[in-house]
Amino acid sequence: MPKTLLYAFLTIIFTSVNSLSVASELNIYSHRQPFLINPFLEVFTKETGIKTNVLYSTKGLAQRLKAEGENSPADVVLTVDIGRLYIYADMDLLAEIDSNVLDKNIPIHLKSSSNTWFGLSKRSRVIVVSENKVGDGEINRIEDLADPKWKGRICSRPGSHVYNRALMASMIAAHGNAEAEKWARGLVNNLARRPQGNDRAQVKAIFEGQCDIAIINNYYFGKLKFSEDETQREWIKGLRLIFPNQEPNDRGAHINISGGGVAKYSKNKEAAIKLLEFLSEKEAQNLYGEINFEYPVNPKTEPTSELKSWGNFREDKLSIVKIAELGYEAQKIIDKVGW
Amino acid sequence: MVIKSKLTERTFFWQLFVFVSAFLISWPILALVHLSLGYSSNLWAHLFETVLFTYIFNTFTLMVGVGLCAGIIGVWSAWILYKYDMPFKNVLEVLILLPAACPGYLVAYAYTDFFEYAGPFQVILREMMGWNNANDYYFPEIRSLFGGILILSFVLYPYVYLLARTGFLNISDKLTNVARIYNRSEFWSVSLPLSRPAIMVGLSLVCMEVVSDFGTVEYFSLQTLTLGIFNVWIGMNDIGAAAQMSLFTFIFIVMLLYFELKSRGRKSFSTIKVADDYSQTIRASGKKLALNYFLIMIPIFIGFLLPIIILFFNMIESITIQSLKSSILVSGNTFFVAGLGSVLIMITATILGTLNYMLKNRNISLLTNLSAMGYAFPGTMLAIGVIIFVGQMDYFLKNLFSSVFDVLPNIYLSGTLAVLLFAYLVRYLAVGYGSIVSGLQNIPINLNYASRTLGSSMEHTIRKITMPLLIRFVFAGSILVFVDIVKELPMTLLLRPFNFETLATYTYQFAHDELMGQASMPALIIILVSIIPIIFLNRLLVKS
Repeated sequence: MPKTLLYAFLTIIFTSVNSLSVASELNIYSHRQPFLINPFLEVFTKETGIKTNVLYSTKGLAQRLKAEGENSPADVVLTVDIGRLYIYADMDLLAEIDSNVLDKNIPIHLKSSSNTWFGLSKRSRVIVVSENKVGDGEINRIEDLADPKWKGRICSRPGSHVYNRALMASMIAAHGNAEAEKWARGLVNNLARRPQGNDRAQVKAIFEGQCDIAIINNYYFGKLKFSEDETQREWIKGLRLIFPNQEPNDRGAHINISGGGVAKYSKNKEAAIKLLEFLSEKEAQNLYGEINFEYPVNPKTEPTSELKSWGNFREDKLSIVKIAELGYEAQKIIDKVGW
Repeated sequence: MVIKSKLTERTFFWQLFVFVSAFLISWPILALVHLSLGYSSNLWAHLFETVLFTYIFNTFTLMVGVGLCAGIIGVWSAWILYKYDMPFKNVLEVLILLPAACPGYLVAYAYTDFFEYAGPFQVILREMMGWNNANDYYFPEIRSLFGGILILSFVLYPYVYLLARTGFLNISDKLTNVARIYNRSEFWSVSLPLSRPAIMVGLSLVCMEVVSDFGTVEYFSLQTLTLGIFNVWIGMNDIGAAAQMSLFTFIFIVMLLYFELKSRGRKSFSTIKVADDYSQTIRASGKKLALNYFLIMIPIFIGFLLPIIILFFNMIESITIQSLKSSILVSGNTFFVAGLGSVLIMITATILGTLNYMLKNRNISLLTNLSAMGYAFPGTMLAIGVIIFVGQMDYFLKNLFSSVFDVLPNIYLSGTLAVLLFAYLVRYLAVGYGSIVSGLQNIPINLNYASRTLGSSMEHTIRKITMPLLIRFVFAGSILVFVDIVKELPMTLLLRPFNFETLATYTYQFAHDELMGQASMPALIIILVSIIPIIFLNRLLVKS
């Protein structure tokens, strides 16, 4: 009896999906939270019969994949910003895949040139302002935030957060290092308080009257608007959302992507590609908007009506990989100006 | 007098045993050292010019501030509960430990919600005083170094409390009686100096925890070294430099510990409580009793009651049956890994501690101390060390199997619970080991010499003499390790098997999306889950 117990115990401790890899199951390393990714996977499993297993972590999954090497159980990697996707490609952890569906569904500036990673949804970094305190048309471009007339009126989370770092990188891409640094300095000089909190907290600060202008990711606008928390729904009343840089000769609003790729040593590449394809097709593309207020990458899919009601926007068509490549320089500027 | 035992086969075996286990546990730390020597984009000049001094200044201030506050709170509450008899003492003994179960970042969140400009506290203050806006009065900014010190002190003081109290309990009443006869303060002249090793271990745990904390400093946007490590790693894609920075903080901590050891020098702190000692708790009454209650309620209120009240009100706004069900399911997992982990860690700590104490081999002792220092690394960095180690083991085992047995096994360590438990061992051995070491320093070495002189073997001496004298510290250590594992986030997140959640990871997926309402319920269950072992172990600790 004790022996049986011991064996049972050891089995629990030493087994994982890893050692029991089943051909029909798909193992996913995800930077996206389970409660956001599960609705997609449920539909996928229903349609294909392929069961999925998820490991969610915000940091270090690339290192885990690398250390596991060819022994890794992972089939698919899903991330929520281009910086992380790029790291996987940079560490040579993704397989080159050949898929007509992906080629067709994903625009060229949102995927890698070597077919290793693919953007699956878009989010834009937008400006929100207090309707009463900032006049219509006073802020049209992200560059305007450096104008000294906004001194003490802007709130932002720390510059070294991935979203702001990506925005900083897009400024470098548009204006070069020196100009981008000047802009960042101007922005920091205009801050109403030490950079702190998350994107939601910036909206709250406008609501409280600590500042009049904030930079947030577009989906937080939706998450607050439909929040289960009544007070959070209050915060966005009296806010105006501005998609920056929309003038016809301007570059468009900075965007970031969530995306994915197939693990280099996946033992289940066919099913892995199937999942990526599924995520790029209409049904899933709609889900991104419905669940998390993100924009579809597939040009044939319209944004949800809720997203459309916030206004049409034109995105910066800069090849998204540039954002990742300039991340290093961006962080340097952020350190320098103390954002 | 030093007795050198002959290097019998037996002691050789034990030396080898200690050496091998300490080496394996140190491997992830050594893997980080190796990582730091690899490619790096030469960032130091840039960091030096820009943010490095801010990082160092903030980290240092935070550490000293928290060390001081947590030290004072921990010692005062330990003294009151040790010395005074008061109604509901056993309830207070449990409550005083519970702040340790609250993940710092959630307490930080709760406090920000409560104390910031739009929070209920300032709203009521404004209404009462007739103030209209922020310009009418001064209120300290909660998202600040000050706020960080406040919150971390009140969730970390239990480390000092528990070790100080255990230290007090182990002091012979004969010594305290001497102090009384000479009309000297028992606290200042006997209890405090004799418990110094235990208190210092508690403080060093607090310092390591502060230096490796990520959640709280991130939430408050405090530019500390830990935050810097992640800026360099994630932001600049330079894990080499990130490893260098974490080694830098590690060396800093090691130096601090070294200075404390030096300053303790050759002073001996051993004391022993014998059976004929009689209990000397004082029955306080009147003003003294009220004061004691007041002093003991401060840390309980700030570190435990207030945050859980805030979390509770957050929770009821967003609770659903589904989320309740998932949280309860997940608490089973949490209890399982935390229970198993703390048993594993305390056994290892006890074996390594006592053998080290007996064998007195300098090199082995160095290695053991290194293996018990994982705590000073940020959890995610240490997890990467573990990942590298496990990856190498898997390759090694695969090659071994294929060359010896000519089969390719489809069984890997990576992604198993065993790896997770090993990771806990690497990170929290410091807590268990520290507790054991402070216990060992209490035992007069002559007792062992006597036992050995009378012909007992080393094993027998450990069993009959050392262990009974050490048992309190084993219980104290297990309490700390248990609550530490229950709330552990970064390593669990990265190293767990597929589809495996603990309460901490379950909480985090919501907290990460800034959904604090949904995060509140599993956070509260974290505390509930911790109450049972705390009650149980605390009873053993006091009675033994």
